Amino acid sequence: MKNETVKIQTLTDNKRMSTQELLQLINSKIDEGYTDFDIEACGQHNIGGSSWACDKISSLNFKITNPGQRVGAMALPHTNIYVEGSAPADVGWLNSGATIVVNGDCGDTAAHCAAGGKIYVSGRVGTRSGALMKHDPKFELPEFWVLKNTGSFSFEFMGGGIGVICGWDCEGYESVLGSRSCVGMVGGTIYVRGNILNVADCVKIENLDDNDIEFLKNGLKDFLNKINHNDLYDKLINFEEWKKIIPLPSNVKEKRITASEFRKNNWIEGGIFGDFIHDDFKVFPMPAVGEGRVRIPKWNSENCIDCKVCLNNCPNSAIVENNKLYSACDDKCIGCGICAAVCPKKCWEMISNRCEIS
Amino acid sequence: MDAVKINQLHLDDLPWIIEYDESKCIQCGKCSAVCSFGAIKPVIENRRIHSNGLQKPSFNKVLVIKQQISLENYCRGCGMCSRVCPNGAIKAVRNFNDKYSVRYRAAKADSFKKGGRSNLNTEGRTLDKIKVGRISQMTDPSLDAARHQFELRTPFGRILSADKLNLHNENGEMKLSNQLPPNRWIYPVIMGDMSIGAVSWRMWEAMAIATAYLNEVMGLPVRMCTGEGGIPVRLLKSKYVKYMILQIASGHFGWNRIIQAMPDMTEDPAGILIKIGQGAKPGDGGLLMASKVAKYVQEIRGVPRADLLSPPTHQGLYSIEESVQKMFLSMNAAFNFKVPVAIKVAASVTSVSVYNNLLRDPYNIVGGFFIDGLAAGTGAAHEISLNHTGHPITSKLRDCYLAAVHQGRQGEIPLFAGGGLGQTGSFAADAFKLICLGANGVFTGRMLLEIAGCIGNDTGKCNACNSGLCPAGIATQDLCLTKRLDIDAVAQNIVNYFIATDIELKKLMGPVGNSTLPIGRSDALITVDKHVANRLDIQYVC
Repeated sequence: MKNETVKIQTLTDNKRMSTQELLQLINSKIDEGYTDFDIEACGQHNIGGSSWACDKISSLNFKITNPGQRVGAMALPHTNIYVEGSAPADVGWLNSGATIVVNGDCGDTAAHCAAGGKIYVSGRVGTRSGALMKHDPKFELPEFWVLKNTGSFSFEFMGGGIGVICGWDCEGYESVLGSRSCVGMVGGTIYVRGNILNVADCVKIENLDDNDIEFLKNGLKDFLNKINHNDLYDKLINFEEWKKIIPLPSNVKEKRITASEFRKNNWIEGGIFGDFIHDDFKVFPMPAVGEGRVRIPKWNSENCIDCKVCLNNCPNSAIVENNKLYSACDDKCIGCGICAAVCPKKCWEMISNRCEIS
Repeated sequence: MDAVKINQLHLDDLPWIIEYDESKCIQCGKCSAVCSFGAIKPVIENRRIHSNGLQKPSFNKVLVIKQQISLENYCRGCGMCSRVCPNGAIKAVRNFNDKYSVRYRAAKADSFKKGGRSNLNTEGRTLDKIKVGRISQMTDPSLDAARHQFELRTPFGRILSADKLNLHNENGEMKLSNQLPPNRWIYPVIMGDMSIGAVSWRMWEAMAIATAYLNEVMGLPVRMCTGEGGIPVRLLKSKYVKYMILQIASGHFGWNRIIQAMPDMTEDPAGILIKIGQGAKPGDGGLLMASKVAKYVQEIRGVPRADLLSPPTHQGLYSIEESVQKMFLSMNAAFNFKVPVAIKVAASVTSVSVYNNLLRDPYNIVGGFFIDGLAAGTGAAHEISLNHTGHPITSKLRDCYLAAVHQGRQGEIPLFAGGGLGQTGSFAADAFKLICLGANGVFTGRMLLEIAGCIGNDTGKCNACNSGLCPAGIATQDLCLTKRLDIDAVAQNIVNYFIATDIELKKLMGPVGNSTLPIGRSDALITVDKHVANRLDIQYVC
């Protein structure tokens, strides 16, 4: 291992080193045993990503100014990246274990797809930041700390890990998460200090519990230390100002009033046909008794021989005999016509029960 | 002994045959109790007791369920019997030897009538031959259907071209000199065109409740057309009338009450739809069989109980120009030129001429053109009209749209298409494809019936809407049948279906990259059928 820091100037005599040249130079230095880099970049991409020390144990340390996109993309554990000033899009994209500090703002999609490591930002981050963060339980939980706010659509499709949006310097902001954040979020936790507007339906916003507060107390210390803002600690630990966003369980659906409640509470009283029809809106089962029958049996005494075949065959025991007079109970008879079928003397006749409501 | 004569109606003449398994039957009577058609009955049959042949034979009497052989009480295949049978002992099976309609005509000297849908299905559906083929893949970014905020509203009402806006300068500010024609931005799926009478009061009210719910709870500006059977005064006088499109058809049913209620209305209706014809039976007027002309229907319509045949044409109208002058003008005047007035015609070879003519409307009072294709449903029709008249919606809608495009006037009179949408189970896809072909929106009645629990289909099941015996309580006015229909469940299911359709429309808008309705975006459509490609001017692919 070589202790001295590799300083790389990527702009010499107005000639800019390409991303490929820079990354290959870094990797060749790593192969030589160097682990510390101080890079004055000129917009080169992917600095600090997918590299590991030649002994696979030592940490790699990058100090970068003026990077291009994807600082720390695909970065592994034991990688420490410090960006002096702001960084454009995709900081820590697919981060798999690096600690990345950006002492400034980040462009869009910061921490996109991060599944490990920690990303600390002292300013604001752009849209879709924290989107698709995940957590593989065999590895450390990814964390994404932002001192100020995110752009819209952040934390979309988040599957795991922790996002912390401290809402510092956001006075008057309608939302420190922009608009329509958290769409498709299925896992993970986002801690937010400040206004939240218009997040997706698939999440719920809750107050912090003791574990959350414990986590934030410790984490904030570490975060603020990393971005040289220990002075803000006391201002951020009023946990009444914080909320946490977690996904709703996938089997919980948004609750709306039912059409039935709408009819009973909002709709025109008595129904729109109430001038003509007194409908109780009850539903007849099939088969139904009473007025729900399509046909009803009518008994004619003329030929009755009191044989009781009808009474014995009625599947619903609806037929009663009283002093040799037969009738079918409205509350039991379904109008099946079996009485009419079995009567040897054709005393039962099925007549239509079709009628209008009034 | 009962002898059989060859000219008698026979079981094998009927469209459906009841398959009944005596060994499974427990004689509970549920099947015969629920059959609204009276097509099955319990009867006693003789069964010969096995004997050695030397003695006089004896018989057991058994109770069985038997199908009726009757021109009136015949099985429509609705299947209610098998729904209620606890043992699966009974079911209706399609009879491929069916000669029912022949027998009917021969016996009654009358045309055969039915409800529901055309059941010939000989053409195949053009919409099913079209796919949404222009999917953004690394070209223009596709929109994420779940995240993106889409604008699905479409105009209902006349849109003036920029040169007709008549703007003038007033102290440095641009001002309109004339009143703009009324216009409403509505959801691109219009419900209904099903009249009070054609459907039960519960079905009609459930649609109205669903409409109000979708507007007030879901924020979807869905509109419902009343159909030609009037509208309850309670609804007219309520705030919810603003979601209703009032229909006036050749029978002019229900308009007396609408006019009487006008002074008491607190809201304008969403629009007026002049119905000239309907896709299921073009050339025929409305038909409501006497069995469904219940007392309240008689009152609203101002008629006694009788078969109600609306004239096939509007009797006062003799030309397109006159209809603009008379119907459009009067209907606009009725609500002080504040309510858009549209017209619905059955798709026809002549539809483009009508549309072209309306586009020249000098008064800007034509607020929409509805074209209804041949696969539409109906409460009642002569079978000959239902099966043998009509025009598919797809090419006719396209013709009208392109006719407007050629004049640079597309969108000025919004086009709405209907007729058989959702027939193969993909309502949102049908709607989307028609919109890409030039429709501003679509309308549907049959989907609502299916959502409500209609058990009919396009291959002859049930289709007894004309009989007044609808076993689902949808197309009937009988208390015992209507009360089978759960008004809340129907309203809820319609609401849910619209929510699902909204999601599905967005799932198609996203990939083609449209935030707003892709009206006329035929470049999004492809077909493997060269004739369809040529006719509709969309891309042929293979």
